[in-house]
Amino acid sequence: MTTSITKTFEVDFPIEQTWANLSNPEKVVVCVPGASLTEKVDENNYKGEVELKFGPVKAKYAGLINFLERDAVAHRMQLKGTGTDSKGKGGAEMKMEGKLNQKGTGTEVNITMEVSITGMLAQFGSRMINDVTNQVFNQFVNNFKNQLKGKEVNNQLSAGSLVGGVVKGIFGK
Amino acid sequence: MIQCKTSKEISGMGHSMKRKEDVRFLHGKGHYIDDLKLPGMLYMDITRSPYAYAKIISIDITEAMKVPGVVAVVTGKDLEKYNLHWMPTLMSDTQMVLPTDKVMYQAQEVAAVIATSRYAARDGREAVKVEYEVMKPVMDPYKSMNADAPILRTDKPGKKDNHIWHWEAGDKAKTDKVFNDAEVVVKQDMYIPRIHVASIETCGCVADYDKVNNHLTMYMTTQAPHAIRTVIALVAGHVGLTEEKIRVVSADIGGGFGGKVPVYPGYVIAIAVSFLTGKPVKWIEDRSENLQADSFARDYHIHAEMAGTKNGKIQATRFKVLADHGYTDAAANPSKFPLGLFSIATGSYNYNASYMEADAVYTNKPPGGVAYRCSFRVTEAVHAIERITDRFAFEVGKDPAQLRMDNFIKKEEFPWKSPTGWEYDSGDYHAGLRKAMEAIGYDELRKEQVEKRKKGELMGIGISTFTEVVGAGPSKDFDILGIKMFDSAEIRVHPTGKALARFGTKSQGQGHETTYAQIIAEVLGIPAANIQIEEGDTDTAPYGLGTYASRSTPTAGAAAAVAARKLVDKARKIAAYLLEVSENDLDWEPGKFSVKGAPEKSKTIQEIVFAAYTNHPQGMQAGFEATHYYDPPNLTFPSGAYICVVDIDKETGGIHVRRFVAIDDCGHIINPMIVQGQVHGGLTQGIAPAMYEELIYDEDGNMLNGTLMDYLVPTAVESPKWETGHVVTPSPHHPIGAKGVGESPTVGSPPAIVNAIVDALSPYGIKHMDIPVTPFKVWKALKEKGVV
Repeated sequence: MTTSITKTFEVDFPIEQTWANLSNPEKVVVCVPGASLTEKVDENNYKGEVELKFGPVKAKYAGLINFLERDAVAHRMQLKGTGTDSKGKGGAEMKMEGKLNQKGTGTEVNITMEVSITGMLAQFGSRMINDVTNQVFNQFVNNFKNQLKGKEVNNQLSAGSLVGGVVKGIFGK
Repeated sequence: MIQCKTSKEISGMGHSMKRKEDVRFLHGKGHYIDDLKLPGMLYMDITRSPYAYAKIISIDITEAMKVPGVVAVVTGKDLEKYNLHWMPTLMSDTQMVLPTDKVMYQAQEVAAVIATSRYAARDGREAVKVEYEVMKPVMDPYKSMNADAPILRTDKPGKKDNHIWHWEAGDKAKTDKVFNDAEVVVKQDMYIPRIHVASIETCGCVADYDKVNNHLTMYMTTQAPHAIRTVIALVAGHVGLTEEKIRVVSADIGGGFGGKVPVYPGYVIAIAVSFLTGKPVKWIEDRSENLQADSFARDYHIHAEMAGTKNGKIQATRFKVLADHGYTDAAANPSKFPLGLFSIATGSYNYNASYMEADAVYTNKPPGGVAYRCSFRVTEAVHAIERITDRFAFEVGKDPAQLRMDNFIKKEEFPWKSPTGWEYDSGDYHAGLRKAMEAIGYDELRKEQVEKRKKGELMGIGISTFTEVVGAGPSKDFDILGIKMFDSAEIRVHPTGKALARFGTKSQGQGHETTYAQIIAEVLGIPAANIQIEEGDTDTAPYGLGTYASRSTPTAGAAAAVAARKLVDKARKIAAYLLEVSENDLDWEPGKFSVKGAPEKSKTIQEIVFAAYTNHPQGMQAGFEATHYYDPPNLTFPSGAYICVVDIDKETGGIHVRRFVAIDDCGHIINPMIVQGQVHGGLTQGIAPAMYEELIYDEDGNMLNGTLMDYLVPTAVESPKWETGHVVTPSPHHPIGAKGVGESPTVGSPPAIVNAIVDALSPYGIKHMDIPVTPFKVWKALKEKGVV
């Protein structure tokens, strides 16, 4: 099952500085909560891990992160991560597209995340996947902003807030 | 009012005797499969595929074998060595026990982990590393028929498509002609979604192979122990497990509803592992495995058509069905009936032209097609005819009750030969509907509806007047894997006049221990309380085909009555001998023979039985036992008239079932209290698919509601107050005139509910709703029509 979210936000940093972070695998990947790079295969391909938690079910996906596009002129990047859970719960795929536009002295960041999940997480999490993706996204945005400010990035999957957010998402509708 | 021929002490038919089995259930002393613990027993858990369609590149068991307590991991390659990696289905298709090269549905068994504890087995199953190459699954049965669809069953040499079978019934030419000439034709597509029996107890077994004696005892959750024994012998005979070396024991069962008829891979793997290790092996599914991998029910795409006159006379029907069977046809139908008894879809109405055809296809869904509380696809058939009848009534502008009254087969027209070849045994459809209309106050409700509609309020009244077909079945047409669908009873009466009776059926909550005793009490006059009923152990019970499809009373119940009659014949001879009169000079009342004209000279059945062991006539065999294998001459045709009233909240789409009246005709009633309980349960399992249940798959083959959090089984909270009643037209060919009732309410109630909802929405031009009709669907439909 697939869910897709697009968000646009602004940062108070020049476009080139913002691009430097967005196009750097070691910087951008760690902004995704629960994600980490474990090995560099080549310039565009990395091995990594992503941990996801949907209510009672946790999955750790190990797989490949592939930068499909990094266009420094158009300030556009695309990456695709694919992985399978180490305990046989299934697979996940994430596509991320980022596009930067200059906005005064700052930058407008436009990001689309498409997450598709197969296997046990899809069964248990079908009602939650949108909310969880949303939470992951929000955490990513915060991390990305903090990183630009030079602050420490909290890459831990904040399970508590995730669950809280999901519960709010379900009952707050 | 039910007439009882026997005293309360004897408690023959018609008495609301309390269920004998409930004593142990209420004391927590039921014995279910998971209660069984044998010395040295190992535990099995199953690694399942997270993907709906994928090639298996490799299976690495190294890490799993390191988990403390894990003793073995079994894969398809291991079973292949013994040619046990595939097995036949009940419909003569084939099904993987464990795959060797690819998986065909999400949650399919991939490897079995055997350990010394259940927890170790579960840890081990997570440590099995399977590398897959994921493929795009085929989830839509229509797309499965496309020329460019990938061929799923590559294991079948020469298979060029995903088509399984084509089936037809009725007279096409005659029916087409009536349709061509008809004044009115209505058409409706409807989908009867895939649902699950979701019994409280999941499936499981303990396979116990004794190497020294080459003997297998298989304790398992099965509705048909004898058939399973034969299947095991057919599948495993080549490794030395022949039928005399196999004992199948089915203990107490926490709900079956058809889901415990098939042979699941877990059973076979457990047997194989026990065979190889010489140790007992327990396998119990968890809830999600049960929901995801066990046999589904329904999943029929139906196109229904009805032709008739402008003034509402039904003249013909046509049905076209697409059956989605998942990756293998593992339905539990009699061999000659791949579409089950769907051809009952002509309904309760007097017309003589009908034609139906069906195709079955493979998809990447779990296999199955069980008769979930429905005698072989009758739920689908009844939904089709009762929905299209309502569409027709709406089209010609007639009240749906009146239209039904005008078209019913009349009481005196039975036995009725249906356009698809069934011979309906008996019924009084007019009396049933009249009784239901009076009980619910039909005319007042219609008046209330007119007033409500003026105020813009949504209220609907829905009717379903269905004919069931149960009691499979006559041996000339009915078999499963070649075994004829008779059933059996063996009665042994002990010297002190107490009896033990054994049957080839198997109760899963139906109350056989009580009702069978009442049938024997009715015939023989021995108190039902003194008759012990046993089922489910193939070493002791006579051979039978098991309990499903409302067949126990029509077949084994009949066998009990006939066997008991044989004993009455013997009793007469002994009584004549004891009373020193001729047999013709004796009068029988249940429990006693007396001399004609001298009623004070009599012998009770207990005295006669005692004499059968102590003082029997010379030349007569001692003892007091009888066995009968009953082969029914026809099926039985229970019927019902159900009326439902709903109120719908326009703003939210919320559906409130205000009232539900169910008038059933199941022939002579054995135990009114048990029948009422059966009807209550069945009706609740009728609102389930009508308003709540559906197994949902996304296009990647993920089942999106694999827990009871998301798969909505109705509880007492969702259940309306059921109002029940009866019309009795005894089956003329059944020894005690009974017809069977377990399934009528599940079969008959969904269209009553949907007809009520559509009736409520009809002022806004809404003509049909597919089940489950959820508040969201209603709200969406109203929004589309601009009502909200």
